[in-house]
Amino acid sequence: MRMTPIAAKELKAAFNSPIAYIVTVAYLVFTSVWLFFLNQFFSHNEASLRIYFAVIPTVFIFLVPALTMRSWAEERRTGTLEVLLTLPFREGEVVLGKFLGCFSLLCIVVALSIPLPLSLAPLGRFDWGQVAGEYLGVLFIGTAGIALGLFVSSLSTNQITSFILSGLALLAFTLVNQLNLLVTLPPWLAALVNWVSFGSHYDSFRRGVLDSRDVLFFLLAIGAFLLLNVQVLLRRKWS
Amino acid sequence: MQSPVIEVLGLSKSYGPVHAVKDVSFSVGSGEIVGLLGPNGAGKTTIMKILSCYLFPTRGTARVNGHDVFQAPVAVKECVGYLPENAPLYPDLTVREYLEFIADARRLSGAARRERMDIVIGECGLEAVVNRGIDELSKGFRQRTGLAQVLLHDPRILILDEPTSGLDPHQIVEIRELIKRLGREKTVILSTHILQEVEATCQRILILNEGRIAAQGTREELEGTLKGEVLLDVTFKGGGAEAGARGLVEIAGVRKVISVRALSADAAAVRLSLAPDGGAEERIFDWAVSRGLRIVAMVPQRLSLEDIFITLTENVPSEGGAQ
Repeated sequence: MRMTPIAAKELKAAFNSPIAYIVTVAYLVFTSVWLFFLNQFFSHNEASLRIYFAVIPTVFIFLVPALTMRSWAEERRTGTLEVLLTLPFREGEVVLGKFLGCFSLLCIVVALSIPLPLSLAPLGRFDWGQVAGEYLGVLFIGTAGIALGLFVSSLSTNQITSFILSGLALLAFTLVNQLNLLVTLPPWLAALVNWVSFGSHYDSFRRGVLDSRDVLFFLLAIGAFLLLNVQVLLRRKWS
Repeated sequence: MQSPVIEVLGLSKSYGPVHAVKDVSFSVGSGEIVGLLGPNGAGKTTIMKILSCYLFPTRGTARVNGHDVFQAPVAVKECVGYLPENAPLYPDLTVREYLEFIADARRLSGAARRERMDIVIGECGLEAVVNRGIDELSKGFRQRTGLAQVLLHDPRILILDEPTSGLDPHQIVEIRELIKRLGREKTVILSTHILQEVEATCQRILILNEGRIAAQGTREELEGTLKGEVLLDVTFKGGGAEAGARGLVEIAGVRKVISVRALSADAAAVRLSLAPDGGAEERIFDWAVSRGLRIVAMVPQRLSLEDIFITLTENVPSEGGAQ
């Protein structure tokens, strides 16, 4: 599998344009304002980042589509898709390359937020195992969002359409488990709604529980959206 | 003749209800420069997209350098350099970053990579702009950057879709010279709707119309297939030139006196249609001498490519490939 050339190109293009910086700054500013200002972290007098991690899926609903909206839509609009797909790659390699590029960008953004919990460390006794689990959850839900966003982008020719549609799709996948709070569904449907929800699997990570079923779910979701993305590319060749 | 580098058999491509290419077959030999010529929507771009493995054909097969586009698309892509229409590029990269990406994608490394980078940057005249962002480049430099991308891995086959569109006349001449130079060792397919372009660069021409091949061959062959009459313009000087000129039709080999035009009291310009087997010119000369006329000019007129093109593509709706 050769995906590093495309991943490297994606990263370079992202950092040559304002988009990578805007996403990074927006993420850091919003999560900090949320924690210290909107939620008055210090007044809780609690050595826990529960509140901080609670808001991240919501932030991702806006930020992850901003990372993925351009990837296919912009290639189609400018015609560079023709250059990309006539380079000696297989369709799967192109999809994985794009995915790896966005994933690296997500890792950079998340890594830049690490100083925040570290700066709070001297103030109390945090459960670092839990914080590590929470960070892992952030990476998983973010990565699943990227796979979903890339798939939606592959169906659009316009990055705004791509942004809004992936935002809506991500909103649905993140919060669909909340349906159970609003209405009483038949037990099988309630279980299904819970199972497909990114949010409910993320919540287990937030509780500090590292369950292989949650890891498996996210890996399945990522794999499924990437496969759908490859299918979109292959079908295009026939159309 | 060697086995063809590009072999297309019964190729058809439909976009939903629109049949863009219909049952096209042709082959291109090693080192040939072939021009696809046709009005917009004739199917030129679609054929190129199939040969570069961007699209699959609906029916038929295409083999490039011995590799089937269905079975070995990656192998096809490896030996082809494809320049899509309008030379699309990544606006967020610099020229150098873009070429580095292409070099990575083409698996170039080490000394060979540095050497190829230097060669294409020089050949395409990009030295002055390598570190500039692609979004700041003029149309001419964008087109050249596109060509550099195509040439970087020194491919055996070049597929160029309208390589000179949007360039100024000076740049057009430069790019044509480059293509001709490259064509000495590479197989080139280029498309254009500009007649002078194929005339200037291509050894063989494929005229497409409504998704079908209307004619193919060298320029001379195309003229032949049209049963091109040989036209001859003769200017006579001497008394009674105008009146006598009608009598030219008596001469063996002269099919028709098309027009007689008096230039002055004792000079006339005559346009004749001759049989292609030749010899008539000498008899016309003798005829003039026997009548005391002098021949001031005798100019054979070639049927222009434009005439051929219009003859082949006229009487069709202007939508071209749609339906």
